[in-house]
Amino acid sequence: MTRWFEDITIDEPFPLGSHTFTEDEILAFGRDYDPQYFHVDAAAAAHSHFGGLIASGWHTVLMGHRKMVDALDAEEVRLRALGQQPGVSGPSPGVNKMEFKAPVRPGDTVTYTLTVTGKRPSNSIPGWGLLFNSLDAVNQRGEQVYHAELVGFSKLRDYQTPLHLRVLEALTKIPGLGKLLTQRS
Amino acid sequence: MNAVTADRRHFEDLVVGETVDLGSTLVTREMILSFAREFDPLPFHLDEAAAKRSLLGGLASSGWQTAALTLRLLGDSFLSRIASAGGLGFSDLKWKKPVMKGDTISATATIAELRRSRHHPDWGIVSIDLDVKNQKGQPVMSMRLANLVETRSPEQGTQAQPEQPYDVEQGGAA
Repeated sequence: MTRWFEDITIDEPFPLGSHTFTEDEILAFGRDYDPQYFHVDAAAAAHSHFGGLIASGWHTVLMGHRKMVDALDAEEVRLRALGQQPGVSGPSPGVNKMEFKAPVRPGDTVTYTLTVTGKRPSNSIPGWGLLFNSLDAVNQRGEQVYHAELVGFSKLRDYQTPLHLRVLEALTKIPGLGKLLTQRS
Repeated sequence: MNAVTADRRHFEDLVVGETVDLGSTLVTREMILSFAREFDPLPFHLDEAAAKRSLLGGLASSGWQTAALTLRLLGDSFLSRIASAGGLGFSDLKWKKPVMKGDTISATATIAELRRSRHHPDWGIVSIDLDVKNQKGQPVMSMRLANLVETRSPEQGTQAQPEQPYDVEQGGAA
């Protein structure tokens, strides 16, 4: 999120926008990453229980990630225009759960929404917090396409580095001694 | 019988504990930049100078790219050789270490669990543990994936089991 950890509200939906999946895109993604017959061959796909070509679930997920990156980028631009300093996101350690619910067919439009469902300060990385995010994708008929539970890092605005860490940081700047200290840890 | 999958391995042919070597793939600078432009346009995946200044310390692939490349390896060596009826999703995806430009990643798939679908006698569910390492043997990613597989004979086989965490009530997506 582009908000600071302290400012993030729980259970407030953040719209990420929509994407319409064309047949060409579905085929291209299938050929690159998921060449199962129902993703790359419309005629063969007719034999599957889907009855026709469908997008790889991973394609819909990667597009959801793209929409999230774009939406957070736009939010950052908006905050800077208001004279505010946006928060800082860190790398994601992973995805707890991803459930594919309904297939996406050529021409379907998928709308993505991000919701922070929980947060807590990190135990392992001082100055950072953990965010528990839900990402939901819904098609133009209101059917859920997938539901994901993701984990992310967000920087704490009000974090004060403890005195002993500041002393240690200063000591590591002394040549020789610094090398010794960093090798130890 | 599905004409496309008739000659492939079906649910009854799979065995818990079976491990498939999925081979390896080289991750080049061009692959990282092109994937990032399409799906993960963050400065540290798009620009070498920004990447050097970031926590990653150099140009690294998007974690999602590592996952997509692994999916391709799984497709070529496993999913396209069984009577796959689509994915149900995955759980416990962990990005353990960044994949840097020039790294070669290799993957293995292990069948962790097999169970019949509760609602569809024509389907079983295979759970696959995926483990991905770099050329130094260091783990870079792992996850558990759930996929539908067509059964040869709906009547035969194990009794229906409760399906958690995945539910195929609505049929599987991709």
